[in-house]
Amino acid sequence: MRQVAIVGCGMTKFGRSDVSLLELMCESSLGALRHADLGERWVDAVYVANMGAARLNKQTAIASALVDRLSLFPAMAESVENGPASGASAFKNGFLAVASGMANVVLVTGAEKMRAVNNLEATDFVASLTHPEAEYIYGVTLPSLAGMFTRLCMERFGVTAEHLAMVAIKNQENALKNPFAHIQQRITMEGILHAPEAVVNNPFVADPLRLYDCCPVSDGAASLVLCALDLAREFCPTPIRVAGIGQATDTHAVHERPDPTQLTAVHLAAEKAFSMSGLSPKDIDVVELHDAFTILEIAESEAAGFFPRGEGHVALEEGTTSLTGALPINPSGGLKGRGHPVGATGVAQLVELTWQLRGEADARQVKDAKSGFACNFGGFGNNVIATVLVREDS
Amino acid sequence: MMDTSVYGSRCNACGKVSYPAHCVCPECGGGAFEPVEISGEGTVLTYTDVYALPLDYAQRYLRLGMVELDLGVRATGQLLDENPEVGKRVRVAIGVVRQSDEKRIYGLQFVPV
Repeated sequence: MRQVAIVGCGMTKFGRSDVSLLELMCESSLGALRHADLGERWVDAVYVANMGAARLNKQTAIASALVDRLSLFPAMAESVENGPASGASAFKNGFLAVASGMANVVLVTGAEKMRAVNNLEATDFVASLTHPEAEYIYGVTLPSLAGMFTRLCMERFGVTAEHLAMVAIKNQENALKNPFAHIQQRITMEGILHAPEAVVNNPFVADPLRLYDCCPVSDGAASLVLCALDLAREFCPTPIRVAGIGQATDTHAVHERPDPTQLTAVHLAAEKAFSMSGLSPKDIDVVELHDAFTILEIAESEAAGFFPRGEGHVALEEGTTSLTGALPINPSGGLKGRGHPVGATGVAQLVELTWQLRGEADARQVKDAKSGFACNFGGFGNNVIATVLVREDS
Repeated sequence: MMDTSVYGSRCNACGKVSYPAHCVCPECGGGAFEPVEISGEGTVLTYTDVYALPLDYAQRYLRLGMVELDLGVRATGQLLDENPEVGKRVRVAIGVVRQSDEKRIYGLQFVPV
């Protein structure tokens, strides 16, 4: 298997967009190709991550459409739909194409345009990934699964509403330093939890989860250019090596898991990614987790092996996971601050890690970051992909 | 009369009860099953009041719960209890859980014992 590197990345600003899904994909793809500065080298394959274009935008086969718009013929191209883990899934497929020798240069673009429909329709669209007979028919949505999960974590581990708010405050603070982030708003514990008007400003969405515990519904696209590491050394001063990828699945219905608070697929995916990379959680300098709900940042930080089980909220409280802490989590703002265009998220996490490892993250740069970890969480933890990236100094 | 019951499955080879049903037994890999009606009593494991509702619901919120049934499986359903509590005993009732156009969908509701 050949070694694979990320040689360029780009993204659109996340948020509400007036341009088409395809325009978003073009913008991030062209940004990544410019950043990669490939010269005469050609893109051999294109992988597009997207969950809902058929339903939300009434468009199918969007990888072919992207190749056409970018005139990348006759590049191989396909779309990857894997729920909210589509982004890292497409990335994994791009990695495999290069590692196998089938392609030398691959473009991976994740995109979603969710604000094309109203919030009710967007919620129902995401809920369609739940178990059709055992969950969906009851009105189960992703926030409701997260709400039930949160109540269990509160009962068992002593996680409080304040801990959840700390994640929101930290990530929205980080997002203020990220010009691509959807949410540009500073929030305080007083404002979202303790002030009399907090019940109005921050109502329950799926109790105990409140509005500010949930990521926004966003439009956006993110792109990466992958290249065989030996070829990358010819033109890229700081290739970011894909050191490990792990993926694992779990039961479709959340209630069927032996312990519904245990994110087994996160644990297994992380373990595989670390094993492949030869690194361990203590070697990691910067982390991007899938905080679609604040509780998930805490729970994933434990399941991935960064903190003991039941102690993620303690590390958060102590500031370990803040931008200047020992293990910054979600310097980008995470899904909470950067936004969550579902198909784009897994790619955007790796874009952030690439910027961090190249030292290009400006005001939110984690000092001397050489290795990064990302967790892209599909379903409610039933399909998870973990990735370890390492800076290769020439 | 229409059967509105909800069924899981019991593996003929190892006896493991699963809900929802699988085509292959998660315990032993067996492929032959008998249906098991999801019924009886259980204990509330967790619950939520969800205000971000999907399509088909006109009310302000839905109370959803996960229950550990004495039957040996867990189930997710609507919790019809004014005073929900983790650990509280409930029993399975069948009712309309979703109404899409003219179509009524029946499923699990949990009511206090």
